Amino acid sequence: MSAVDQMDQFKNSYQEEAREILVELESALLALNETPGDMELVGRVFRALHTIKGSGAMFGFDELAAFTHKLENAFDEVRNGRLTITPELIDLTLAALDQIRAMLEEGNGAPAADAAVCAQILAKVKQLVGIASGQPADGTDAAPVVSPADSSGQEREWHIRFSPGPETMRNGANPLLLLRELGQLGGLAVKASMEAVPPLRELDPERCYVSWELVLATAAGQDAIRDVFIFVEDTCELIIESASTPTENATPASRASQPTSADAADVAAKALEEKRTPAGGRRTYDKPDNATSLRVPAAKLDQYVDLVGELVTVQAHLSELATRRDDPEVTAVSEEIERLTSLLRDNSMNIRMLPIRATFEKFRRLVHDLARELDKDVELTIEGAETELDKTVVDQLSEPLMHLIRNSMDHGIESAAVRAERGKRPAAEIHLSARHEGGSVLIAVSDDGGGIDKAAVLSRAIERGLVAAGSHLTESEIFGLLFQPGFSTAKQVTDISGRGVGMDVVRKSIENLRGTVDVTSKPGEGTTVTLRLPLTLAIIDGLLVSVADAYFVLPVGSVLECIELSRKDIEKANGKHLVDVRGELIPYIRLREQFNIRTELPEIEQIMIVETGTGCYGFVVDQVLGDHQTVIKNLGRFYRHVQEVSGATILGNGMVALILDVERLAKDAVRAGAKAVLGRSATNTLNPSAQKKKFTTQNAV
Amino acid sequence: MPVTLEQSEDSSVIRLEGSIDIASAAELKKLFIQAFASGHEVRVELDGATDLDVTAVQLLWAARREAKVMGVEIALTGQAPEQVGSSLRQAGFQELVATMNGSQVSGVDSCQQ
Repeated sequence: MSAVDQMDQFKNSYQEEAREILVELESALLALNETPGDMELVGRVFRALHTIKGSGAMFGFDELAAFTHKLENAFDEVRNGRLTITPELIDLTLAALDQIRAMLEEGNGAPAADAAVCAQILAKVKQLVGIASGQPADGTDAAPVVSPADSSGQEREWHIRFSPGPETMRNGANPLLLLRELGQLGGLAVKASMEAVPPLRELDPERCYVSWELVLATAAGQDAIRDVFIFVEDTCELIIESASTPTENATPASRASQPTSADAADVAAKALEEKRTPAGGRRTYDKPDNATSLRVPAAKLDQYVDLVGELVTVQAHLSELATRRDDPEVTAVSEEIERLTSLLRDNSMNIRMLPIRATFEKFRRLVHDLARELDKDVELTIEGAETELDKTVVDQLSEPLMHLIRNSMDHGIESAAVRAERGKRPAAEIHLSARHEGGSVLIAVSDDGGGIDKAAVLSRAIERGLVAAGSHLTESEIFGLLFQPGFSTAKQVTDISGRGVGMDVVRKSIENLRGTVDVTSKPGEGTTVTLRLPLTLAIIDGLLVSVADAYFVLPVGSVLECIELSRKDIEKANGKHLVDVRGELIPYIRLREQFNIRTELPEIEQIMIVETGTGCYGFVVDQVLGDHQTVIKNLGRFYRHVQEVSGATILGNGMVALILDVERLAKDAVRAGAKAVLGRSATNTLNPSAQKKKFTTQNAV
Repeated sequence: MPVTLEQSEDSSVIRLEGSIDIASAAELKKLFIQAFASGHEVRVELDGATDLDVTAVQLLWAARREAKVMGVEIALTGQAPEQVGSSLRQAGFQELVATMNGSQVSGVDSCQQ
């Protein structure tokens, strides 16, 4: 690899890391806005800025580093108690953060940072710092202090034990430079401990085995000392202890330059020794949990999952062959491969699972900014952020959630005056939650606003010609109208929402993820929009069925049971598509009719009873062939309009099986029923474009 | 190459030049092992070294211990620039610095840091 490539690689990993730090910084800032006195949060903000600055300078992001440096100074002032956190400072820093983000993404096609805005932010920050240092809170000397001194200003002795992690050198850090930097804080006595260095032959030449006992006499506080180690802190063992109360006449500077200074470090070593774990400090790096996290580019992961998908397909072919050959040895190998492939598949799916936390946390900023813009007081609460979802789902969830939150903030939540009138809490609440339910994940956006005005929705729909005047729709049908293209009840179009595109986009994106959207609302109490999403998108456990020579796959998670349907049963039902399951009448859909397959009926058919969002439905097929690990392939563009199938898969014998979208089929059936009812009462239909599509499997992929 | 090995009939000389850091650490370890394999006295020439980092110091230290085990003489020779000494002193390797500048070390007596 050339030096340039390597630098690019470093730059990329810096960018990746910085992006994460920015997210963390943002959430720390927003939390600080709530609790301005929390010094731990101030420390988090400072360290995040410090890391972005330091590594940025190292990888050539000079402009970014210089800009961040000035912000960092402001937070250093906060840390030292010379500047207090105000909403203004938080807003400035948030605005600065957007600029840092822009600088970071420069060259990636993102809009560049605005130099004028940057200068403006810095000028305002400077002003804040200036005002603060003109009126020191503690009444001490107001002159700008350059050194990161403790507010006491007196020198004290610190005992420090520093054991770099094994990867320190390989990560490009240099402990000797850190010691030099530490020496700049005051008089430093250093003792290197070589006891961990193994015999020459066993020595890993790129690993750091040396650890240090240090005695530092400085007026600087513990934070300033810790900051020296900021880039290696996560991977090293660092103990910093105050050894003395402030002393006036300590002269360690003179001691440090002499070899005897090691004595002082010896004493410190003994003192620190007692604090060490019995197993010895360096052992901690060998613990598995320190070495098991890897940063892997998402694209590689996608490739891995694709390959596993291919393997599953080939394995299906092998199983098929083994069955035909009827050779016990081949069968044994095939079964073993099937078992391993199945494990590999679960494993690869597991790797792709991400907690939804990052997506949720991102909205804190949105809520904060929108609340200010709309002059509403809104709190965002988050529940179930640890819920895991497939990476693809998580990636595509941001936009719909953003639309939903914007909608809630703009239309749902009332203005402060109206809330007061209705006797509600002044601070409105938006609640984001996620939880598992069976093979799905439920994500809900709730607000405690005014709820949806059903009459307004209906009259708007009539005005827009979406339903006929005088129609009587159920609550869920009315809420369904919200997701029609071009529908909006907002009296005026605002920047935030109200263009009537949002909810339509939400439904589309969720359906693209094979999910569903559900709305519940109580007038005066609030609205909840629930998204039901599948756990995974790439490979599912399916149940393979056939109708004549066509194959279909149903998601096994939604199949409840399988019963027989004889010709006699059909006759008994008088042509109605209903079956009696232990006293309960369940409607069924004949795939044969649905897909226009014209072959002779078998004597006995099978009904798969499937649970859908709109109740239980039966799907009638000729034969149930069994479990099938289904690698989902998208249908070609030509078949994009086909709603009843969510994809296709290739079987072991090379045939194509269509994956049925049972939710969609059931919904269409309900709609067809509603259409019949509506047809009697009005001329318009709910959705004139929803027509039954004829489709055969032979030419699908 | 910042680290090189010259072997003659009765001694091995490892020459360090420029900055000796993690980039040359693997090579330096290999050269030490080669040098000890000959069983002759090992000299480490520091004349041209401008900087030694932790990996280099660890290797020198391990090499001295190895020498003691094998009963081979090892010496740090040549006059390393003052900056090398001062930076090593700053890092707490005082005793290593004391054995530099030509003093012959027999085995490991003075490397018990």
